Amino acid sequence: MGAAHSASEEVRELEGKTGFSSDQIEQLHRRFKQLSGDQPTIRKENFNNVPDLELNPIRSKIVRAFFDNRNLRKGPSGLADEINFEDFLTIMSYFRPIDTTMGEEQVELSRKEKLRCACLQVPLLTRGQVLFHMYDSDSDGRITLEEYRNVVEELLSGNPHIEKESARSIADGAMMEAASVCVGQMEPDQVYEGITFEDFLKIWQGIDIETKMHVRFLNMETMALCH
Amino acid sequence: MLRAALSLLALPLAGAAEEPTQKPESPGEPLPGLELFRWQWHEVEAPYLVALWILVASLAKIVFHLSRKVTSLVPESCLLILLGLVLGGIVLAVAKKAEYQLEPGTFFLFLLPPIVLDSGYFMPSRLFFDNLGAILTYAVVGTLWNAFTTGAALWGLQQAGLVAPRVQAGLLDFLLFGSLISAVDPVAVLAVFEEVHVNETLFIIVFGESLLNDAVTVVLYKVCNSFVEMGSANVQATDYLKGVASLFVVSLGGAAVGLVFAFLLALTTRFTKRVRIIEPLLVFLLAYAAYLTAEMASLSAILAVTMCGLGCKKYVEANISHKSRTTVKYTMKTLASCAETVIFMLLGISAVDSSKWAWDSGLVLGTLIFILFFRALGVVLQTWVLNQFRLIPLDKIDQVVMSYGGLRGAVAFALVILLDRTKVPAKDYFVATTIVVVFFTVIVQGLTIKPLVKWLKVKRSEHHKPTLNQELHEHTFDHILAAVEDVVGHHGYHYWRDRWEQFDKKYLSQLLMRRSAYRIRDQIWDVYYRLNIRDAISFVDQGGHVLSSTGLTLPSMPSRNSVAETSVTNLLRESGSGACLDLQVIDTVRSGRDREDAVMHHLLCGGLYKPRRRYKASCSRHFISDDAQERQDKEVFQQNMKRRLESFKSTKHNICFTKSKPRPRKTGRRKKDGVANAEATNGKPRDLGFQDTAAVILTVESEEEEEESDSSETEKEDDEGIIFVARATSEVLQEGKVSGSLEVCPSPRIIPPSPTCAEKELPWKSGQGDLAVYVSSETTKIVPVDMQTGWNQSMSSLESLASPPCNQAPTLTCLPPHPRGAEEPQAPLYPPSDPRPSFAFPPSLAKAGRSHSESSADLPQQQELQPLMGHKNHTHLSPGTANSHWCIQFNRGSRL
Repeated sequence: MGAAHSASEEVRELEGKTGFSSDQIEQLHRRFKQLSGDQPTIRKENFNNVPDLELNPIRSKIVRAFFDNRNLRKGPSGLADEINFEDFLTIMSYFRPIDTTMGEEQVELSRKEKLRCACLQVPLLTRGQVLFHMYDSDSDGRITLEEYRNVVEELLSGNPHIEKESARSIADGAMMEAASVCVGQMEPDQVYEGITFEDFLKIWQGIDIETKMHVRFLNMETMALCH
Repeated sequence: MLRAALSLLALPLAGAAEEPTQKPESPGEPLPGLELFRWQWHEVEAPYLVALWILVASLAKIVFHLSRKVTSLVPESCLLILLGLVLGGIVLAVAKKAEYQLEPGTFFLFLLPPIVLDSGYFMPSRLFFDNLGAILTYAVVGTLWNAFTTGAALWGLQQAGLVAPRVQAGLLDFLLFGSLISAVDPVAVLAVFEEVHVNETLFIIVFGESLLNDAVTVVLYKVCNSFVEMGSANVQATDYLKGVASLFVVSLGGAAVGLVFAFLLALTTRFTKRVRIIEPLLVFLLAYAAYLTAEMASLSAILAVTMCGLGCKKYVEANISHKSRTTVKYTMKTLASCAETVIFMLLGISAVDSSKWAWDSGLVLGTLIFILFFRALGVVLQTWVLNQFRLIPLDKIDQVVMSYGGLRGAVAFALVILLDRTKVPAKDYFVATTIVVVFFTVIVQGLTIKPLVKWLKVKRSEHHKPTLNQELHEHTFDHILAAVEDVVGHHGYHYWRDRWEQFDKKYLSQLLMRRSAYRIRDQIWDVYYRLNIRDAISFVDQGGHVLSSTGLTLPSMPSRNSVAETSVTNLLRESGSGACLDLQVIDTVRSGRDREDAVMHHLLCGGLYKPRRRYKASCSRHFISDDAQERQDKEVFQQNMKRRLESFKSTKHNICFTKSKPRPRKTGRRKKDGVANAEATNGKPRDLGFQDTAAVILTVESEEEEEESDSSETEKEDDEGIIFVARATSEVLQEGKVSGSLEVCPSPRIIPPSPTCAEKELPWKSGQGDLAVYVSSETTKIVPVDMQTGWNQSMSSLESLASPPCNQAPTLTCLPPHPRGAEEPQAPLYPPSDPRPSFAFPPSLAKAGRSHSESSADLPQQQELQPLMGHKNHTHLSPGTANSHWCIQFNRGSRL
C-alpha cells in the first residue's frame, strides 16, 4: 500500500474516508513509514520504538486499541496482527477534531448532516466506542468487573505506592457507582453484570466527550523522536 | 509600584478626620483623681471604624440575602454599591463632607490581595491551563487593544470638538486614561459571574483574562503616566522600547515571584507536621509576602499572587492536615468576600464625594460607548483569530457574553484616584468618567447579564458531583491522547502536559510533598477517598438512607439491607408508617421490639464507624490533636470501602440471595439454628418478612467475615481499640442470639458499642469505664429509651442458648475471672434473672483488659477513673435501672 499511496486518487479516497486533509495524510504516512520501518504494515512490536510511549501506564491497552478489529471496523471481535496505513488512519481519525480541518462549506454540510441523522451522532459514538472497546477487552459488549479492575490497576500502576488492593477497591467503587447510575434501584434478584455501551454513555453524561477527545494533527514535527 | 508608592499605609477608613459628632465625650482635661470611667475613643478609633465598616457591610449582606427574590435578580455587587451611595449620602449629610473614601493604598495593599489569592488558589487549574492560550490573548492583546483604541478615539472625540474644551488633555492623557479604564476588573467579574453560572470555559476565559491583564494594565499605566509626567516632548524612542520591555519584565517577573513563593510555601508546609496550627497562617503569610514583594519590585502583584495560589495548591493541600485545609478554605473565602463587600460599598460611598470629580457629558458618554464598542470589536477580532487554532471554537453567543462581561471595577477607580492632578490637569473629569463607567458596568451590565445569558441560552455549567467513573475515564483519556500524540510524533499540548506530570511526579512532588502524602497522592485515589467519606458521613448522618440509595443498589442482599435500614429510621421516628412504602418494612417494624433492636444493632454495627479513641484532653495553644479526626476519617473510609466491597462480592459471585436460598446456609450454621429455635421458643410472632431479613443478614455476616480476614492484619496494628471492640462484639453476639438477626456479627473491628450495647449492659459498660467514651455521639443520641424493654425481653431468653463460637481470643481470655464467666467455658453467658449486674466487670478486671492494649500514657487516666467506675457499679447493682442507661452519657461528660 505504501508505494501505491502516492497516487493522488488514493489520497483523495483516504481523505474522503477519514476526513484528514492531504497534507495530514502525507505527514501521517511519513510517520507511519517511520514506525513500521518502511514496511507496508505495522505490528505491535513497532510501537515499542516510540520512546515516549513507554511511560504511559495504559500503554498496552492503547496499543491494543490500534489492532482491535472493532475499532478497525473489520469484525465484532479479535485482534489484527498487523495494520496497514489505511487502518492506521482509521484509528487516528477517531481523534481528529472535526471542524478545524474542514472548509466552511464542509462545516455547513456536516452540520446539516448531523441534523439530519441526529439519532446517529456519529462522532460521539465512535469516540466513545473506542474508549469502550479499550475497557471491554473480551468484546462481549460489557465491561465486567474484572475488566474494569484491570484498567484501573493499569491506570494506577504509575504510582508504586498504591497497592493493587486499593486499585481493586477503586474499581469496585466505580462499578457500584456505575450500577447505581445506570440501573437505579435494582430488584432484589437482579445482578449487575457489567457496563454496557448504553450505560457507558450514561456515565458520560455531563462530560462533553467530543470536546475532550481530540488531538491536533496540524504542524506535526515528526522525526527526531523515533529512531 | 507607583500606586503603592503614592499610597500611604494609612488605614482605610480611619483616614477620617475627627468628627465632633462621633465623639460623645472627649478625653478632655485631666481629672484630679482616679477616673472611674474614661472614654478613649481616639485610641481605638482606627481599628474600631474598620471593624464597624466591615460589620455594616456584613450585616448588609445578610439583609440582602433575606430576600431570595432580590438576590436572584440583582447581583450583590449592585446592591452593595447602592448601599454605599446611600451611606455616603448619609455621611455627607451628617458630617458635611465626604468621608471614608476608597483609598488606593488600602485597596491595593489590603482589599485586593485576599480576593486575588482566593481566586488564584481555587482556580480550576486544569481548566485554566487548557485555555491558557485564549486567556493570554485576551489579557494581553485585548487589553492593549482596548487601551489604545479607547484612548485614541477619545482623543479624536476631543479633536472633533465633542468634548468640552475645559477638559485639558492631550493624546497622552487620553492614552493614560484609556489604559486604566480598559482593564477588565477581576473583582467585578468575579462578583457578577459567580452568580450567573455560565459554562466553565467561558467563565475561565473572562475571569482568567481579568486576572492576567493586571500586568498589562500596570505596565501601560506606568508607562503612560511617566510619559505624561515627562511631557510628550521629552519621550524618546528608547522609552517606547523600554515600555515594551517592561511589559515582559513586569509580567514574567510577577509570575516568577509568585512561583518562587509558591515553591517556598509548599516546601515549608512539608515540615509542619508538629505544628499543624500554623499551617493556614503560612499559606496566607507567604502568599501575602508574594504580593508585597511583587508590589515592592513594581511587578505585577496580582499575577504574583495568582501564580502563587495556583502553583502551591496541589502540594499544600497534600501536606497540610485536613483541618488546616478547611481552615484555609474558609478563611480565604471569608476574607475575600469581606474585601469584596467592602470594596463595593466604599465604591458607592466614594462616588458621593463631588469635590473629586467634574462632569463632562461628552467625555462620559464617549467613554461609555467606546469601551463597549471596542471591547466587542476586540473580542470578535481576537476570537476569529483564536478560532483558527482552537479545537473547540468559541461561538457567537460566547463572544457576546465575553464582550458584555467586560466589567470595570475598583482597580480602575483606584488607579484614577492615584493620578497626579498637577501632571494630569483633567484628573477630575477622568475620575467622574471612571466612576460612571464602573457604576454602569457593574450595575447596568451586572443587572442585565443574567437575563441576557438566559435569553441567549448560553450553555450553563452543570453542577454535577465528581463521580469516580468520570475521573477514571478522564484519566484514561489523558493517557490516550498523550499516547496518540506520541504515536503521531506530534509534540502538542497533551504531550507537554504528560511530560510535565511526569516531571512533577518524579521530582517536584517528591521534593515538596511530605513522604506520607506523596505515597498516596493520586487523583483517582483522592476522588475515591472523598466520595467514600461523603457517602459514609451522609450514611451516618441520615441513618442509612443515603447509602442504601446510592451505594447498595446491588442484588438482593443490599436491598434487604436497605429494608432494615429503612425500618430503623422508622423506628427512630417512633412509627412504622411514615414515608415508607415497602410493606415488608412495616412488617418488620411490627414484628417486635427485639427484632428492631436486632436490625438496628446490625445496622449500627455496620454503619457506624469504630468507637472513638479517647481524646486527650489537651488545650495546648500550639497543637490541635487532629489525629483523632484523621483517624475517624480513615475509619469511615475503610468502613465504607468495605461495605462497597462486600456488597460487590455478591455481585461478582452472582450470589443471589432470594428468599429460599439463604435457608440451607442457615442450617449449615449451628449458631443460626439456635437463633431460630430461640425465636420459636420465645413464642414471638414470626412472619416471613422477618425471616428474610434475618437470613439475608446472615449472608452479610459471612461476607464480612471473609472480608475481615483479608484486611484484619492491616487494621489491627492500626488501632489499639480493636481489642475492646472485639469484646464488645462477643458480648453483643451472645446477647444477640435471642433476637435473631442480632447474632450477625459484622467484623469485630468495626463494631462500636452500639446503642443496643449501651442499652443493655450499662453496668458492664460503666465497669469498663473507658468504653463509654468510645460511644460516638450519634449512638447515644439516637437510641430510643423504650428499647430497653426489648432488651429485657431478649435477656430473658438468653439461658436457652448455647454459646456461640467466638474468635475474639485476646479479649475473651480475660473474661474467665469474671464471676459469671465460669458458667460458659467459651464466653460468659449471663443468666436471665439478673443480666445487668453480671455485665459489671470489677474495675480491676476492666483495667486488666485494657492494659493489653492501652498505651502506658493512658493508664493514669484509667486509674483516675476507677472511683467513678466503682460508683457506677453500685448504682447498677441497685434496682434503680430505669435511668441507668443514660449514664453512658453522664460518664462521657465526666470524662470530657
